[in-house]
Amino acid sequence: MSNLMVDKVATLWPEMVMLAGAVACLMTGLSSQASRRRTVVWIAAATLVIAGIIAAAGTAQATSGVGLAGMAKFIKVAVAAVGLLLLMLNTSSTSQEGVALMRDTPELGGEFFAFFLCSLTGVMLTAGADDLVWLFLALELTSLPTYVMVAMGRQKLEARESAVKYFFLGAMSAALFLYGFALLYGAAGSTQLADIHQYALDNPHDGLLMFGLVLAVVGICFKIAAVPMHFYAADVYQGAASPVTAFLAFVPKSAGFLALLLMLGIVGWPLPQPIAWLIAAIAVATMTVGNVLGLVQSNVKRVLAYSSIAHSGYMLLGVLIGPPGSAPGSGNSATSAIGNGVAAVLFYLLAYGFSTIAAFAVLACLRVENDEAQTYNDLAGLMQRRPALAAVMVVAALSLLGLPPMVGFLGKIYLFGSALTQGYVVLVVIAVLNSAISAGYYLPIAASCIFSKPMRDVQTIEAPGRQAGAVLAAILAVVLGFGGGKLVSSANDAGRVVKQKHADKVSQVDQEKQFTSQ
Amino acid sequence: MLTLADSQFSAYAAVGLLVLMAAGFGIFNLIASTLIGPRRRGKVKEMVYESGMNPVGDARRRFNVRFYVVAMTFLLFDVEIVFLYPWAVNFASLGPPEGDQLSLMFLLRMGFFVLTSVVAFVYAWGKGVFRYD
Repeated sequence: MSNLMVDKVATLWPEMVMLAGAVACLMTGLSSQASRRRTVVWIAAATLVIAGIIAAAGTAQATSGVGLAGMAKFIKVAVAAVGLLLLMLNTSSTSQEGVALMRDTPELGGEFFAFFLCSLTGVMLTAGADDLVWLFLALELTSLPTYVMVAMGRQKLEARESAVKYFFLGAMSAALFLYGFALLYGAAGSTQLADIHQYALDNPHDGLLMFGLVLAVVGICFKIAAVPMHFYAADVYQGAASPVTAFLAFVPKSAGFLALLLMLGIVGWPLPQPIAWLIAAIAVATMTVGNVLGLVQSNVKRVLAYSSIAHSGYMLLGVLIGPPGSAPGSGNSATSAIGNGVAAVLFYLLAYGFSTIAAFAVLACLRVENDEAQTYNDLAGLMQRRPALAAVMVVAALSLLGLPPMVGFLGKIYLFGSALTQGYVVLVVIAVLNSAISAGYYLPIAASCIFSKPMRDVQTIEAPGRQAGAVLAAILAVVLGFGGGKLVSSANDAGRVVKQKHADKVSQVDQEKQFTSQ
Repeated sequence: MLTLADSQFSAYAAVGLLVLMAAGFGIFNLIASTLIGPRRRGKVKEMVYESGMNPVGDARRRFNVRFYVVAMTFLLFDVEIVFLYPWAVNFASLGPPEGDQLSLMFLLRMGFFVLTSVVAFVYAWGKGVFRYD
């Protein structure tokens, strides 16, 4: 037993480094010297680099509750990398002029970056969860810091309002999926995902288990901003400071999708009919609501919020398909990435992450009348003033729309292609139609940057970190669109079901039973 | 199929009994005090109860935020004690730490748990929560 624990702890070194880094940030932020307080960002960056290297060098988890063991390593490295990008966005201006411009943005202290690292640690822990209690704590570790970050990131009443909204709805969703977890435990008599998985295989028609699973899925829908729980997204995304919004668009969403994959792994793919219908219905409703409501917004941050909802809808297709080799007659698809739903989701998370981070980074670099730039009019004529930032915004919008050669195109190919190989033709048609609708708000963003005349007095903050982050995210969105092969193959390796010892042992026992009965 | 939860369901009887007793105690007290309690009215009797002190002013006023911070710090250590007690009670039955892997593991875990509280304490101290001037 203790040997197993030591094995488990050995896979947790990245998380422990992150936690130590968070504590270091917290303590350094208390210093009375401003110069020492400013090193907090560098401590956070060093932590992310070290955690990423350890995660990349470390061995993959031997067992994970439902067999998606490869996912953890991939997501840990990805989270560390994207975390660095998000950290660049959250640096403030170094020049006095810039500080004066950012009057509504407080100087972010040690607490902010400690919460930042804690939230990323939560995503890493979610990826490696093999127990319901662990999964719940990891999800909450991801979410709780974000509520505070929303309130801290901006000195405006809107930020407080959105933080409170976010907190209460988040608490409600946590209650929902905790209730679901309790029912799962009540049905299976164990909190270990592997045991619940075994129980679900033995009793495929257990109503209590199904009800618990549905509650858990609906609760997790809050994290990914999917339809029954999507209401908060627009208000919270608008109220939070743009760099924090970029964080919200990637981090809780990743944790939510990982948790969703683990929960659905309990019943296994192909999903049982009612669950499959539920996921398909949520997917269609989410992408349609997101795209249609995105059309009528005038605030770009709200548009990007609805785009975040819509992209969750696309990604739910990948969740519906699941890992390869689980459906009968899909033996040959095990070699290619198309057909691997989990890989498509993991890749799309990154593709969407880079694109949306680029878009929010541009907004974070601009100021209009001592407020954040956030309407189409604020972006008008950006090409004439700041060509580099305008180019980043155009790349981001086109990548989110899914035009080649951006990475968003590649992500959609994998998602929709995988759905096609599994025969979900109607769903793919709906998704493609939705992508077409989304052109109705992505193209105006690009067009107002390029073709419109400048309308308002937009100023640029001299914050090198933010500008570099914006450019880097856009470069990644283009480069990965051309050469994402390595990433795709590692996502493909990550999204496989690893046969477990537990299941093997059971089948061995079965064979022995058969043998003795003969 | 009988699950673990089903088979051990009778173990929850004690919890059920406790709930019944707690509810019964509350209801009994309410009924008893309405039945046998004296009913005297008057200015002093209808005054706000302030633990025997004369009430001063309205309760709806702004308090110094320090009280909330102290309350939260108290909660932190209170919850820590709640976890420490059952651990301390059970630790003795796990045997001496040296050589025994399991009890060493439990000691390290509790050490980590206490360490998190120490971090919180140091942070609160550095932030000036305990400074009253």
